Amino acid sequence: MSIYITGVGVISAIGLNTEENYQSLKDQKTGIEPLQFFPSEKEILAGEVKLSNQELIQQHNLTAPISRTSILGLIAAKEAWKGNEHNSQIRTGIISGTSVGGMDNTEIYYEQRLNEQNPDISLITTHDSGNTTERIAAELGISGYINTISTACSSGANAIMLGARLMQQNKLDRVLVGASDSFSNFTEKGFRSLMIYSDEWVKPFDDNRNGLNLGEGGGFILLENKKSLDITNNKPLASLVGWSNTTDAYHQTASSPDGKGATLAVEGALKKANLNPSDISYINAHGTGTPNNDLSESTAFINIFKDKVPPFSSTKAYTGHTLAASGAIEAVYAVLALQNNVIFPNLNYSIPINETKLVPETQWNDRNEVNAVLSNSLGFGGNSSSVIFKKV
Amino acid sequence: MYINACSTISHQNSFRNENWINELTVLEEGSELITPNYKEFIAPSAIRRMSKIIRMGLTCSKDCVEQSGIENPDAIIVGTGLGCLSDTEKFLNNSLTIKGLIPPTSFIQSTHNTIAGQISLALKNHNYNITHTQNSLSFEHSLIDAILCLNEEDSNVLVGAADEDIPLLGELINELGFKGVSNHLTSGASFFMLSNNKTANSKAILVDSYTVGLNSSDPSEIINAFLTQNNRSLNDIDLVLSNSFGSIGATEIKALFSPIKVTPIEQYTGYHLTNAAFSTHLATDILHQNATTKSVLIYNTLYNNNIGLTLLDSLEA
Repeated sequence: MSIYITGVGVISAIGLNTEENYQSLKDQKTGIEPLQFFPSEKEILAGEVKLSNQELIQQHNLTAPISRTSILGLIAAKEAWKGNEHNSQIRTGIISGTSVGGMDNTEIYYEQRLNEQNPDISLITTHDSGNTTERIAAELGISGYINTISTACSSGANAIMLGARLMQQNKLDRVLVGASDSFSNFTEKGFRSLMIYSDEWVKPFDDNRNGLNLGEGGGFILLENKKSLDITNNKPLASLVGWSNTTDAYHQTASSPDGKGATLAVEGALKKANLNPSDISYINAHGTGTPNNDLSESTAFINIFKDKVPPFSSTKAYTGHTLAASGAIEAVYAVLALQNNVIFPNLNYSIPINETKLVPETQWNDRNEVNAVLSNSLGFGGNSSSVIFKKV
Repeated sequence: MYINACSTISHQNSFRNENWINELTVLEEGSELITPNYKEFIAPSAIRRMSKIIRMGLTCSKDCVEQSGIENPDAIIVGTGLGCLSDTEKFLNNSLTIKGLIPPTSFIQSTHNTIAGQISLALKNHNYNITHTQNSLSFEHSLIDAILCLNEEDSNVLVGAADEDIPLLGELINELGFKGVSNHLTSGASFFMLSNNKTANSKAILVDSYTVGLNSSDPSEIINAFLTQNNRSLNDIDLVLSNSFGSIGATEIKALFSPIKVTPIEQYTGYHLTNAAFSTHLATDILHQNATTKSVLIYNTLYNNNIGLTLLDSLEA
C-alpha cells in the first residue's frame, strides 16, 4: 500500500515556513547565531527560531500557557495541514515526537520556585509531552488517535514510521506526523555536561568537528492513503517507501564505533522499500557534528554502501541539532530535495574524517535527478531510525 | 495474541506472586511501593545510579524474559506518562544551582526512552525499540504498537509501562487544586511478553486495544464501536476493570456497563498515568485462574476525555 505525502510544514532557525527554509538552504545561510531571545548568562551559539514566544503567540492567535515546544509544533503542523478539512470517511490521527516536551516552561517555573518568587503554577501544566501533542490536535480539530513518541533525537523519524504502519494496517487513512522541541537551558547544560556542546559553529563530518550546536523547531508531514486522496484530491508531493527502527545497544548515550544500530536501520529501511543501496540518490545524514556520532554514522555508510557511498550531507549546520524535531524537519528537507532535484550542501566542512575519508556534498547541487532520499536519525538510548522517501 | 508473561511492581504484593489477585488490598494513604530484591535482576554497581522507574522497568522486563524464555524479543515497547521524573528534577535542580561543570548522569537518565534503552542494553537487543508518552493512554498506545509489530513480522514483543512518583509531584498536584489526591500518588510498572505463539506459559489472549484522545462523543458509542469491531457486544463481557481520577465518574461508569460487574482499579493501584498496565496484568491473571471469567474489558478514563479500551479473553474463550 502506498503512503503519500501531501503536505509539509517546517519552522526552524532558517525560516518560519517551508519556503523560507528552502531559500536559506539554497543561500547556504546558517541560522545558528548567539542566542537572542533566550536569556543566557554567556554567549551561546544555537539555532534559535527568530521570534519570541509572545510574537509567535500573537501571530498565530494562541492562548497561554503554552510551551514553546507546542507553539513550534503547531506552526509546522498547521502549515502541513493547510487547506485540509475533516471528513468522517477519513480516519485521521496525529503523532508528534518530542524529547523535552514543555521543559521551556517547566524550567522557568522551577527556578521561580527555587527562588521563592511566587511561581506561576500554570506553567507546569504544559510539562508533559502528551500535552504538547494534544495542544496541536485541539487547534487543528483532530480527535481520536493522538499519540506522542519520545525516543530522544529519533522521535521525529519514529513518529513518521508509526503513522505509516498504522495506515498500512488499515487503522488510519490520514495522519499528521512530525515533531518539535524548543531550546532549553536544561538541554543546553545537558549536552555541555556531556562535553559535546561546541562553542564554535558545528562542523558535521569534518575531521576537526568538536560537538553540536543545539537548535529548535518543528516539522510535520501529512500522510494519506489512496482512499483519503480520492476524497481530498490532494496532489502527492512524494511517497514514504521505507523505514526501520533498530537499536545500537552499545551505550545509553554514545554510538558504537562499528555503527551497528545505524547500519541495521539503513539495511532495514532499504529492505522495507525494496530498494538497492545504489538506488539512493542522497542521504540526509543525522550528522550532529559530535566526534562520536559522525564517525559511527560514516562507518555505517561504508558498511552499507561500501566504496559507493551516495552524495550525503548533514543540515545540522543550518538549523542546529533540533533533537526530536530533527527527523521531522529533515523529512521536509527530503521532500524538498525530491521536488527540486537538489542536494543540500554541508556547511563548515574542510577535511574528511581521518578514519573513513568520506567527503560530504559541499556545493548546491541541482544537476542530478534525485529519486530516493534516505534520512537518518540516531539518538540517546541507542535508538537508530532510517526513513526513505521517493518521488511519486 | 498470547500473553506469555506478566510482571508487575506495585503497591500490591504483585511481583512473582501467583496468588496476588486474591490478596489485593485497598490502598491506604501513604502506602508504599513493594519492591523486589533488585540485586537479583540488576548488577549492584548499576543499581546505585538507577532511579526507581528504571529499576522497576528493567526488573519487570527481565522477569518477563525469564518467565517466557524469550531472551531476544523482536521489539521492546515502553509507555510512560511522565517519564524519568526523578532524574529530570535532579538535573533541573543541578543546572540551576551548580555553577560550572554538572555531572551528566542525571541528564543521560532524564529522557523518557532511558527505560527502553536500558532494557535493550541489558538484553543486548538490536531490534525495534520505542517509547510512547501520551499521558493516561501511554500504555494503550504501547499495546497498539505491539499489536502492529505482531501483525508484521515479529513473533515476540516485550511491552510494558512504568511511572514514578516523586515528592515534588504531590506538591504540584496540591497546588493545582486537586484535593485529596496527592496522598494516593503511586509508582508502578507492568511488563508483558506478547507472542503470536501459544506456549505452556500462555495465560490469556490480548484481543485488541484502542484509544480515543480528546473525545467529545458519548462514551457508550465508542465502547460499542470497539466491541463491534471485535465481533462482540457488552453481553460477552464478564468483568470491566475501570480507572478514573478521584471519585469523578465512578457512578457514571457503573451505569455505562450495568449489569456487568465493574471493578475500579485505582483503589488498588493508586494514581499514576500508566496504571492501566496494572489492570492488564490483573485481567490476565483473573482470566488464567478463574474459569468463569472469559472476557475482560479494561476501560481507562483516568483523563476524562482520553479513553483507553483493552479487551482480553481467556485461553479457552
